[in-house]
Amino acid sequence: MDNFIFGANQAFNPILPATGEIIWSVVSFALLLFLLGKFAFPPVKKIMAERTAKIRNDIEGAEKARLEAERVLAEYRTQLEEARKEANRLVEEARKTAGLVREELLAKAHEEAAEIKRRAEESLQIEKERAMSELRASVGDLAVELASRIIAYEVDRRSVDPLVEQFLAESGVGSK
Amino acid sequence: MHLLGSINFPPIGELLNWKAILFSGSAFSLNKIGLITLAAALITFAMFGLAGRKAKLVPTGLQNVVEYAVDFVTNLIVLDAMGPEGIVWVPWLVGMFFFILFSNLFEVIPFIQMPATARTSVTIPLALISYITFVAVGIKKQGLGRYFKSSLVPKGVPVALLPLLIPLEFLSTFIVRPFALAIRLCGNMLAGHLLLVTFAILSEALFVKSLLLIALPLPFAMLVVVTGYEIFVSALQAFIFTTLTAVYIGEAMAGDH
Repeated sequence: MDNFIFGANQAFNPILPATGEIIWSVVSFALLLFLLGKFAFPPVKKIMAERTAKIRNDIEGAEKARLEAERVLAEYRTQLEEARKEANRLVEEARKTAGLVREELLAKAHEEAAEIKRRAEESLQIEKERAMSELRASVGDLAVELASRIIAYEVDRRSVDPLVEQFLAESGVGSK
Repeated sequence: MHLLGSINFPPIGELLNWKAILFSGSAFSLNKIGLITLAAALITFAMFGLAGRKAKLVPTGLQNVVEYAVDFVTNLIVLDAMGPEGIVWVPWLVGMFFFILFSNLFEVIPFIQMPATARTSVTIPLALISYITFVAVGIKKQGLGRYFKSSLVPKGVPVALLPLLIPLEFLSTFIVRPFALAIRLCGNMLAGHLLLVTFAILSEALFVKSLLLIALPLPFAMLVVVTGYEIFVSALQAFIFTTLTAVYIGEAMAGDH
């Protein structure tokens, strides 16, 4: 058990570096840094940068699209509001117009009715006057005829009475 | 001691002294440690190469892992320690993180079971690379005079204290930093490695000695627990080494103390 740990009579010192190992570790490390920096790292870095750029673009694009959508929505809302106002205005206008037309029509109808009434009264009056004048003429005629008949038949009152009755019945005036 | 006397616990040197596989005898002798560092480099490169070659906008599988790692180093190490202008250092620090992580993780890979970073041969060069880098960045960004002034002379300190503080600052920034980087990583991984070896040898010895078999569950459970713990330590030490390097470089870039 002499040389259990750090054996004194050992030529090999575990702490001191060995030349060959130094050279190979430096060669390995230098080779790695060279190969990595020159060939292996750039593609990895490139794809990572591309992804970063793509994600940034996508996010910016989405943000732009969102803003555009919001703008369009606001525009549509305004348009809708305007259209609603316009529709209300049109309805209101139509209602007003209808009211006016109605009143106008009513007034006209009243006027016409009055006119018709007036005309009817007028024609009635004319008819009445015509009837009266006709009546007057026929009464005159009748009177003349009656008188002539009375004169033609010189009879007493008793014999005249049936005649009168007969005449009246013929002319359609008397006879209840 | 007689119960465990039959346990052959190897000297620590035997656990770390690996025979050369290639170029034996020369300065370029390649042993297990060298192979592990090469493997760590190649695995990292292959991982990024494969992920980058089939890179898709919507990542799957390996690409996810690699991108997560890059994000992790970028957000938790670079941006925290260096700010936005440290971004150029991301590939460098990602490489450093994975190189150390994989070198560490070979500690728990079956049949390899050796962290390359348990050797100062690996951690001292790494620490020196980090050291040279942050000093060079400081000199390049601020100029030689201003860099040393900003790192050695703390702001708002009475002039009378400067003769005391300047040597201290020099010691802490230019001597202790690389030393601490190297020793922290190596010490942690070496200690973990020795723990694993200890419990593995104990478990193995108890498995063989039938009388003591009832005691086996304890060291074996410890072996399992320590293995899990060492995976965590591997990641933590890689993170610490990389973060400190980032902090040092960031400080050298910014210039304020």
